[in-house]
Amino acid sequence: MSSEAVDYDAQIASVREAFEREFERFARFRAYEGTEGLSLDEAEALSREVKELATRHTAKKSAVSQLMKLVGRVPAEERARFGQLVQQVDKEIRGALGDVGVALAGRIQLLKTERERVDVTLPGRRPRRGHLHPITLLRQRIEDVFVSMGYAVEDGPEVETDFYNFTALNIPELHPARSPQDTFYTTDGLSLRSQTSTVQIHAMQRRRPPLRVVAPGRVFRRDTPDATHNPMFFQVEGLLVDRGINMGHLKGTLSEFVRRLFGPATRTRFRPSYFPFTEPSMEADYSCFKCGGAGCRLCKGSGWIELGGSGMVHPNVLRAVQIDPEEFSGFAFGLGIDRMCGLMYELDDIRLLFENDVRFLEQF
Amino acid sequence: MDISYNWLRDLTEITLAPRDLADRLTMAGLAVDAVHEKGGDHVLEFDLTSNRPDCLSNLGIAREAAALTGAGLKLPDLTVKNVGGRAEQFTAVEIEDADLCPRYAARVVRGVKIQPSPDWLVERLQAIGQRPINNVADITNFVLHELGQPLHAFDLAKLSEFRIVVRRARAGEKLKTLDGVERELDEQMLVIADAVRAVAVAGVMGGEETEISGGTTDVLVESAYFDPQSVRRTSKRLGLQTEASYRFERGVDYEGVRRAQDRCVALICELAGGTATEDAVDVYPTRITPPTVRLRPRRVEELSGLSVPAEESGRILRSLGFEPAEGDVQNGELSFGVPTWRTDVKIEEDLVEEVARVYGYDKIGEALPPSPVTGEYLLGDRRRRAARQVLTAAGFNEAVSISFIEESSGVNESGESRFEPVPGLQKVEGEGAFVVLSNPIIEGARLMRPSLLPGLLEATRHNFNHGTRDVRLFETGRVFAARAASGDEDESRPSEVEAFALLVTGEALEEGKAAGRAADFFDLKGGLEAAADAMRVGELEFEPASVRHLREGQSARVRLGGQEIGHAGRLSEELAARYKFRQPVYVAEVNLTALLATGERPARYTPLPRFPGVARDVSLVADRRVTFGEMRRAILSLGIEECRGVALVDVYEGASMPEGKRSLTLRVEYRADERTLRDEEVDAMHARVVSALEGEFGAQLRG
Repeated sequence: MSSEAVDYDAQIASVREAFEREFERFARFRAYEGTEGLSLDEAEALSREVKELATRHTAKKSAVSQLMKLVGRVPAEERARFGQLVQQVDKEIRGALGDVGVALAGRIQLLKTERERVDVTLPGRRPRRGHLHPITLLRQRIEDVFVSMGYAVEDGPEVETDFYNFTALNIPELHPARSPQDTFYTTDGLSLRSQTSTVQIHAMQRRRPPLRVVAPGRVFRRDTPDATHNPMFFQVEGLLVDRGINMGHLKGTLSEFVRRLFGPATRTRFRPSYFPFTEPSMEADYSCFKCGGAGCRLCKGSGWIELGGSGMVHPNVLRAVQIDPEEFSGFAFGLGIDRMCGLMYELDDIRLLFENDVRFLEQF
Repeated sequence: MDISYNWLRDLTEITLAPRDLADRLTMAGLAVDAVHEKGGDHVLEFDLTSNRPDCLSNLGIAREAAALTGAGLKLPDLTVKNVGGRAEQFTAVEIEDADLCPRYAARVVRGVKIQPSPDWLVERLQAIGQRPINNVADITNFVLHELGQPLHAFDLAKLSEFRIVVRRARAGEKLKTLDGVERELDEQMLVIADAVRAVAVAGVMGGEETEISGGTTDVLVESAYFDPQSVRRTSKRLGLQTEASYRFERGVDYEGVRRAQDRCVALICELAGGTATEDAVDVYPTRITPPTVRLRPRRVEELSGLSVPAEESGRILRSLGFEPAEGDVQNGELSFGVPTWRTDVKIEEDLVEEVARVYGYDKIGEALPPSPVTGEYLLGDRRRRAARQVLTAAGFNEAVSISFIEESSGVNESGESRFEPVPGLQKVEGEGAFVVLSNPIIEGARLMRPSLLPGLLEATRHNFNHGTRDVRLFETGRVFAARAASGDEDESRPSEVEAFALLVTGEALEEGKAAGRAADFFDLKGGLEAAADAMRVGELEFEPASVRHLREGQSARVRLGGQEIGHAGRLSEELAARYKFRQPVYVAEVNLTALLATGERPARYTPLPRFPGVARDVSLVADRRVTFGEMRRAILSLGIEECRGVALVDVYEGASMPEGKRSLTLRVEYRADERTLRDEEVDAMHARVVSALEGEFGAQLRG
């Protein structure tokens, strides 16, 4: 063994020692667990220092690099062993620094993630949404169904003349419906329409048969407001006039309507009834959408819910608008939107509909 | 009306169980609301339509039940046991007002003994909720419910000169009715009088003085037909509805008058003893004849869709009491005399209904009508729906308010409107041309709303009172203004305009957050603009202006294409105080009819710019009353072709500004279509813009 070989080993040992001395304060960070408890600032400072350390101990001018350069000068028989030892020290130093670097980077990453973590359950940023009035919602659905069945949506005045509100609808001069007890009158002697049937007359004057029309809108009756009455409510009127129209078409139409509104399993039944502007007349019921017809609180145990009045347009009504009842026949129906709304949403007080309480409106 | 099932079986050989019978009757148009079991009997609760007064009795229901089931009808026994003397020996009847009383029959029973009714009679009456009184009174009540003809029994001894006069009441005439109430009559009311005074309100209620009492021995039984309108009016005017008036005002069977009287007299003789006159004084000057109505059998199928053989139609109608009459046999037409109790049947369609309802509506096959026409929405409806969607997305809830408002909400103490109407509403007359209800139902609410705002303000007050302070509402609906009277009824109809209104108050909230920034004029304006944009109309222009119900300095008129269509701003202090609002409330209202009439802005393609634009900002200090709109217009009207737009960057009104001044930062965009603009070109154009603003508005460039 030459004395020089001993020198080489001593040099390697001293390089290792020098590194280890400086590295000592980072040693505990070689494992990730060692970094726990470091704040982001501390971790970043340490990370910078480790990088400096790395520069000093791995760069070209570092002690290890100097040893590398010596390898060539080492006697041939020692060279391999010396080379291996130098490589080993280099690997140890790089490994140690690398471990600490990774651990600190991991810690930094984690803390940054933590700092930027968002509470994904905080409310999303959007204006508070408003809501359509339940009557509008139902009215639009009803309009959609009838438009798809070929009906034109029509409209008429809310303040009416006697002719449109009563006379043309075959309501005789002394009929109780005309009395100021039941109908609102203006100081000019006009009346607030007491049914959307008035639009039948306007529509038949505007359009000639064949025609199909639906007219949703406000109507007025002198009912004292209570949980089930308002002096104003919404109806939708339907009218179809053509050649060869009979009650079967009326039944078919109303049945189709309730199936589209309440589902294909909805059943209907028709009872004879009386209205001045239709003859024959009928009242339509549909199977309760809540219990399916078994009977519940909503349908008062009967399994049926009243849809509304209907019938074949009275010949006097057709004549009032110069349509020959021998040539044309038609049917008409009137449905209460508020009533349907009250049932669908199970309102315990129908007056809520026009109070415009935001807590109510926001439920639809 | 209640009907006892057991009683019904006295009149018909019906075998259907009570509930099955109820169903059968309901499906034939006589709606049974409920069936109650009651001490071995069943009570059927009917809710009849107003056209079927003939069914307001056991006989009426029995007749229907018989026709529907084929069961036989058993008419009650009319044989009177003890008969003696003619009615005219004991009484006389004079009808002064035959228009209100087409028929009056009086029959006398002498020597009766007033006492409690036998059990069977009490039972029948109690089953349908009637209180027994004495035999004679109970018998009249029994016959009313059995046959549907109201009757009245007078104590003959108490009738002055023992005679009856049917006449209108005299002015100021008074009568104490059976219920012990002294009633003042008017000259349009029909009364039954004796030689000197009124003794009963015809068809409504008898008088106390002449009623049957324990000492009564001679009874005059009245059976009559009174004019329905007259009874209705009297009953309403007196606020007195009775079993009798209920039937008379719907119309009783004018040919059933004597039968009911005979039945009543027979029962009195049987249960109270006495001798009946052999006839009645029956004053019936003009015999009412029922109509004869033709039926072309094909019309049954044409209208109902049911193919009912002609013989079957005939059978059904006969079972209901219709009498076949001579028809035009050659054309296969049938003709029927309408039974006297069926005052509702007048035309062929009525007969078709009779056939169809007995045959069964359930047998009508369902079909959709062939479709020769296409569906369509109301004009502008798609745009209305789009506006509603946008507004709800912007946080507005849709309100629906009652169409009439309290007069004091719409009009101030001097009779002036509190709200400026939307443009286009009051065209014909000026101020104060309200549509006023003559018979409001809610105290004071007699004005048809001239504006949607009173409704929205009322809703806001309601919400404030219930702790909701952040309110955004919109409403669409008709508003009304009276028009000048005109000979033509249609032309004197009020002006009805569809209006659209918005209200904003409190904070602008985000979903899920309890607090936000205070809403202001620009939340209101933004809502209005968003709605207009959704309806695809042109840009709304806001012009500072005084508006009656808005606060000076925070109000604007809204124009569209130069046409004034509405107004927007903060509610005036006066109105805010009236509603006790302690936070600013912003309201806008526009004429939606006019807005939609401006037509839809079409979407049109313009090629995308090929060269980049340059934006330059300019900050200027100017008088606060110089508007952004004016500055923008001034820039755009310089005619610089490359100037593409002016946008607001910022408004600064902080403390560092001199009094009455503010700073506006505008961003002006320059761009040419065919090349990239050079910096020097933009500098030159921008310098023109800045100097124009300085020159026109005395604005100073801010360092």
